[in-house]
Amino acid sequence: MPNITLLTRDDAHFTFPSAQSDYILDAAAAANLCLPAICHEGTCGACHAHVSQGHYELGQIGDGALPDAPSGGVLLCRCRPEGDLVIDVPYPQADVHHQQIPRREATIVSLKPVDSSAVVVTLALTPDPALGTAADFTPGQYMEVWIPGTTIRRAYSMANLPNWDGRLEFVIRLHKGGAFSTYLAERARPGDRLRVRGPLGRFALDETSARPRYLIGGGCGFGPILSMLRRLADLQDMQPTTLIFAADREDEMFGAEATIRELETALPKLKVMLTVWHPQGSWSGLTGTAADAFAAALDKATELPDVYVCGPPVLLESVKAVAKARGLPPTQIFTEQVQAG
Amino acid sequence: MFCFQCEQTRHTEAGPGCAGPKGVCGKDEVTADLQDLLIYQLKGIGQYRTRLGALGRPDREADSFVLFALFATLTNVNFDHNRFVAMIADAAKIRDRLRVAYEAASRAAGKAPEVLDGPAAFVPADTLLGLLAQAAAHGVRAGIETLGADVVGLRGLLLFGLKGTAAYEHHAQVLGVMRDASADGIAHTLDFLAGDPTDLNVMLEEAVALGHCNFTTMEALDAANTGMFGEPTPAPVRITPIAGKAILVSGHDLRDLGAILEATKDTGINVYTHGELLPAHGYPKLRAHPHLAGNFGGAWQNQHNDFAAFPGPIVMTSNCMIEPQPTYRNRMFTTGPAGWPGLRHIDNGDFSLVVKAAHALPGFAASEPERTITAGFGHHAVLGVADKVVDAVKSGALNHFFLIGGCDGAEHGRNYYTEFAEAVPKDSMILTLGCVKYRFHEQEFGTVAGLPRLLDCGQCNDAYSALVIAKALAEAFKCGVNELPLSLIISWFEQKAVAVFLSLLAVGVRNVRLGPTLPAFLTPALLDVLVQRFGVQPITTADADLKAALQRRAA
Repeated sequence: MPNITLLTRDDAHFTFPSAQSDYILDAAAAANLCLPAICHEGTCGACHAHVSQGHYELGQIGDGALPDAPSGGVLLCRCRPEGDLVIDVPYPQADVHHQQIPRREATIVSLKPVDSSAVVVTLALTPDPALGTAADFTPGQYMEVWIPGTTIRRAYSMANLPNWDGRLEFVIRLHKGGAFSTYLAERARPGDRLRVRGPLGRFALDETSARPRYLIGGGCGFGPILSMLRRLADLQDMQPTTLIFAADREDEMFGAEATIRELETALPKLKVMLTVWHPQGSWSGLTGTAADAFAAALDKATELPDVYVCGPPVLLESVKAVAKARGLPPTQIFTEQVQAG
Repeated sequence: MFCFQCEQTRHTEAGPGCAGPKGVCGKDEVTADLQDLLIYQLKGIGQYRTRLGALGRPDREADSFVLFALFATLTNVNFDHNRFVAMIADAAKIRDRLRVAYEAASRAAGKAPEVLDGPAAFVPADTLLGLLAQAAAHGVRAGIETLGADVVGLRGLLLFGLKGTAAYEHHAQVLGVMRDASADGIAHTLDFLAGDPTDLNVMLEEAVALGHCNFTTMEALDAANTGMFGEPTPAPVRITPIAGKAILVSGHDLRDLGAILEATKDTGINVYTHGELLPAHGYPKLRAHPHLAGNFGGAWQNQHNDFAAFPGPIVMTSNCMIEPQPTYRNRMFTTGPAGWPGLRHIDNGDFSLVVKAAHALPGFAASEPERTITAGFGHHAVLGVADKVVDAVKSGALNHFFLIGGCDGAEHGRNYYTEFAEAVPKDSMILTLGCVKYRFHEQEFGTVAGLPRLLDCGQCNDAYSALVIAKALAEAFKCGVNELPLSLIISWFEQKAVAVFLSLLAVGVRNVRLGPTLPAFLTPALLDVLVQRFGVQPITTADADLKAALQRRAA
């Protein structure tokens, strides 16, 4: 794969790989380097740069956007490498942004059992001079959390909203023998200090989309779906939204029924489908898997929705199979895989 | 979608204009189509509002909605389709209310009410898909196959100029000033467009009339700003940060800035301006707040860097917004007509959440050495030293005035304005306004005849100030504005610049240099008319244009 070297105006170097099929701007983003750009399509000229070494291919560029093309001028959003490139960019290194992943310390505020085997864990981030006190994340993202005194870490998605008070809330299903589950069940106490790193992950709502939304969660995959729903409620979203939440048994609903009712009040266009795969007793609602409920909903839909799905691999695969069979474009499916732990 | 209202519109083999899923600005197809439909409805409101006005029954509530809705469709203002769905529903209700009022008023005056069709009779669909299907017939190019590009282009000039005027009038109105001539003129232009005009000469006359309306509107905004915050006076503006918690306010809205300054009084939070709010520092009542700490960052197109580097919340009060980056999205807020899906919008003037965010975010860890620029040369300040200016011209110490004003933008071609400012001879003065000044205002321009060589008149709407100055100088020299040793070098980007441009034509200013490229909605035939009638010239190179400007003076 070609190597791209960027030379900034103040002589800093950034080197990253780029496939020949990738535009330089996208390859830089994949390497966690955010370069100045606006339109991403060869028109506005904001990503103008100059190739000093190497061969490249320029895609279509708007009239007048690149007056110095014959002498090596390029727009990075329309430039693909044909080999290693050295590129002079007209800005200083301070204009190249890295998405640095903060490492923080947090304290357990509360541990609240919510059903037969799940617990809601609330952490408070320790104020930090460089980062402040905010819990800044996008609904759908997760944090890595370390078991105190160990090098063992697990990833949990936030179930709450980003906030200025530094609160992180996780909905965690306890699994017998799991390292973090054992810590939570046996040793964890309010006041415990934990190391955390994040936010991480790209599972997020496409808020610019005008399509209806389906949010599908199963097993441990309820946390980020809840955060997304809370986000939609917080912004008084008006688009039709369907929540499909699938539990293995009716006593594994994370005690979320009351929260879901509140969300239904806040979101007049929210439709809720709770389904249980293996009912144990008096469950009178839907039965079956998340994929079953998804298929039933999709068969009645007048417009193919955006689908956000979080859960174990088997759930993701079964939902994707339903989507494929019904002609849903893959670009309209957003997935996040979770594992018990 | 099809949109060609701004300077950066896409140029392809098929011709100019943004089409497909997304425009260059980031506006998506759904939002663009809903904006087209909303504008179609506003024409319907204009139809009834104009007739109500003629019956002595204007409707301020409808006027206010029209201003806000038109403003929301400017480039880089509102990208949130949900807000347009809501405005479309509101527009239908307002139009229906006006119809009832018009019919009643008409009968009360002993006249049979006209039965209006077109936008006046339009019923929006009740689903998003339905609205999008309706929008297809009401784009800015509707009818081009039969009417041709000249008619469509001139309708575009009117609509886009109207948007700019509405934006200015909205800013004035939120400060309590609304001129009947502005409100009536805006309604009239909508009514005129509702009639699908085709006569080029009539449309050109309407464009000049809109230019006059915009001049009145800029005067109203000047009166609103100075009435609320005092007459601008020259003042140093710090452009380096001070240690401590911080809020950045961007856009153009002085009222929101004032409200944020009030909300942060005695909290220890510093407030910084960004972009076109830089001229706020010239206003005494805003500057009186000790925590109005300075200006941060450059012009709008650099906001990805500037906002990412700002360690506090950011409030966008109008244009110019581009897609918020993940690094600062959660700490960015919108107010007024501005919007982006997923950003928190504050529509009730309560900035307590912004204050909370400022406390939670780190703020500036350290102060940087102080650097300043000067703002506040509005017409009051400049005319306060008019005698000195006139004497300097008469003595030959001051040879020429250059107004380098308008918008900034990302394209390479905008270096022209930097080169031009740098090449202006030492015996000449530069007046500037709008955000194009960010290309050169940190440079040291020194003085000429004991006066600063670079005078910042303010925001783009302060073109009013520049015209007042020009008229006063013309009176002092007993000549017309076009006989003054004054050259206008205008940089345009969005629709407020179109409105200002129409005002320049309306008040008879000739030989304006316009760039960096000419509006895509103007066909060669329309440009030819502008060249013939108003002497409008496209920019060439800074050197050549400077020489030509100075020779005109000599001649």
